[in-house]
Amino acid sequence: MSLRNIGIVYRKELTDSLRDRRTLISMIVVPLVLMPVTTIGIGVLTAKIIGQAMKEAPLVMALGGEDSPGVMEKLRRLKTIHVVPARPDFANLISDKKIRAAVEIPKGFEEAMGRGELPTVQIDIYQGELRSTIAAQRLEQFFRGLRDAEVRERLVARGLSGSLVKPFEITEKNVASPEKVFGNTFGALLPYLVIVLCLTGAMYPAIDLTAGEKERGTIETILCSPVGRTHLVLGKFLMVLTASLATSALATSSMAATFLGAREVLAGLARDQSNTLRAAVHPSAILAIFLMVLPIAVLLSAGLLAIALFAKSYKEAQSYISPLMLLVILPAVVAVLPGVELNARLALVPVLNTSLVAKEIMTGTYHWKYMALIFASSCVYAAAAIFLAVKMFQREDVLFRT
Amino acid sequence: MSDPAVIVVRELSKHFRTFRRREGLWGGIQNLFFRDYQTVRAVDDITFSIRPGEMVGYIGPNGAGKSTTIKMLTGILVPTSGEVLTNGFVPHQQRTAYVKTIGVVFGQRTQLWWDIAVVESLKLLRRIYDVSERDFDERMELFNQVLGIRDYLHTPVRKLSLGERMRCDLAAALLHNPPLLFLDEPTIGLDVVAKDHIRQFLRAINEHYRTTVLLTTHDLDDIEELCRRIMIIDHGRLLYDGPLNLLKQKLLRTKQVKFALRDSEQTTGVRALEHTLHGDTLRLEPVDELTYRIRFDRSRISTAELIRQILATVEVRDLLIEDEPIEEIVKRIYAGEALHEANA
Repeated sequence: MSLRNIGIVYRKELTDSLRDRRTLISMIVVPLVLMPVTTIGIGVLTAKIIGQAMKEAPLVMALGGEDSPGVMEKLRRLKTIHVVPARPDFANLISDKKIRAAVEIPKGFEEAMGRGELPTVQIDIYQGELRSTIAAQRLEQFFRGLRDAEVRERLVARGLSGSLVKPFEITEKNVASPEKVFGNTFGALLPYLVIVLCLTGAMYPAIDLTAGEKERGTIETILCSPVGRTHLVLGKFLMVLTASLATSALATSSMAATFLGAREVLAGLARDQSNTLRAAVHPSAILAIFLMVLPIAVLLSAGLLAIALFAKSYKEAQSYISPLMLLVILPAVVAVLPGVELNARLALVPVLNTSLVAKEIMTGTYHWKYMALIFASSCVYAAAAIFLAVKMFQREDVLFRT
Repeated sequence: MSDPAVIVVRELSKHFRTFRRREGLWGGIQNLFFRDYQTVRAVDDITFSIRPGEMVGYIGPNGAGKSTTIKMLTGILVPTSGEVLTNGFVPHQQRTAYVKTIGVVFGQRTQLWWDIAVVESLKLLRRIYDVSERDFDERMELFNQVLGIRDYLHTPVRKLSLGERMRCDLAAALLHNPPLLFLDEPTIGLDVVAKDHIRQFLRAINEHYRTTVLLTTHDLDDIEELCRRIMIIDHGRLLYDGPLNLLKQKLLRTKQVKFALRDSEQTTGVRALEHTLHGDTLRLEPVDELTYRIRFDRSRISTAELIRQILATVEVRDLLIEDEPIEEIVKRIYAGEALHEANA
């Protein structure tokens, strides 16, 4: 094994890549500019849309209730909704988003209530639609208030205290550190992004350095040089790994910087979350995550290299690699889902294990045993991928596929 | 007894297994489930040897096996059977040590790196081939003189013209002063001036350093200008291996006579000549107003007889007898004609 030769190949590939505008774009410009702009942009946009929807008074149709003028009057006086006259096609109007919700007040509602019967008010909504949900919440709030008032009235009428309805109060207080709260809310996202960025960063150079060489016909010339095939593939692999890590590190740090800069703006937009947004991530957590992601980056770089080497052309390589994207993104997504927790079996599933442990690290919890197990298993997978790439590079039928 | 040859190839074969694709939509679906493999004999049992300082032309139609042979000789491909010994090495077994003793140029692809300046590539190659700085500077000086590459040493390869790139590629291949040079289509796509430049350079290094050169080409002018020996391969088999002159002598069947009439009054005589020639089924082709050409088969009519007939009918100002162009001979060989005569 000659480190010198590997170094020469690595240096050559690095110099070549740095002069290639396409690599520069995929390795530096995209993670540095595009990623933060899009992710933060989507965040800002979502916050804005929700804020806007909260400010509006949604159109709500009241059905029935002619014989309950008291309720209707209170409903109409509500500032948070806008009541429109009843129409028989209300369901279609809700589906078409012409109105956001409808409330069906049964016949003789006030009278029935007075008699102590149990009438039912029905709220019709478009499930999952933001403005409809907001309208429904507001209607429900109104009728709950109405119900509580009615109960209190009845109690008072019978000479009992109104506090009988509410024998005690419930309050919530957060005892988790801001770090943990932040980690739990946003923490799962960061490792996911880091891993996906490792993949996208490695993709272009992996294809260019293998299938790209085949397409340009330069594979013959590099095989004619006095550098062993193992050294060639290792030098190329180091280049792909560099691109992978650089993309990931650049994107994460640029996103962190943008995030810190835009914190005030975001906090202003989504007032409820200002607490968690103020929370910080400890630098050592970021470092630990990068350390855990390192073998995954090795695994992805070597894996991509081996797959791309098999392809005859750039296009073919891309069609092989697209399914791999799913294979990596899926476990990373699973880790983000709430309720999925780390255990010994999941600690052996590549990508998923790292995502899960990184989520824990983000909340400030360090499961040392799991971390060791995950690091070790990822290293084994990474070594296997490198071995595969080296073996592929020795095979004539792979290098010169017809 | 020591073998003086630089390249010794014995019963060399290379077979590839390829899969035969069925045609049409149904064929495409069948291909997914049943693969019909077939063996292609890219190089089939060839034997030859090349002595130091020789410049050998290796020709054949597309897909004949030229490049496969070169790839085996340079250690990129492992032979299916047979032996190769070049510069005392078995190429595919001792590849990294062996390639330090050879230079390779693939005409259509460059070993220089696309986006970086030529001189950076050359410096990197210096490190790869362990060339000392003194030797490097000395050779660069020589390449500047002979190839004139100084002007574009600092230009990225992608901005060079094909001719400029080829000169730089030759410099890269010869940086470590190898005694043996493989050239795969070195003049492909070049203009006449660039071709001439490359040929001059190859002749020069062959004379000065006694560099052995094996070159494959489609351009037979390369062969005529550079090589005394020629090897012809087709369908993986060596059809001819010997001096170019011998091939010409044995296979030259047709010649052409070109003659210019003394003046326009002679045109009436031309019609009479045409009539006489019809008896011998020869055709008179006009080249310009006063010049005509007749191609003829030496086995059917002698040159002397033809000239006698011409001179008997018309008065000529000028007369020229030419051999059949080498392209025509090679075309006939590819068509499977008459090689046994030459090999005999």
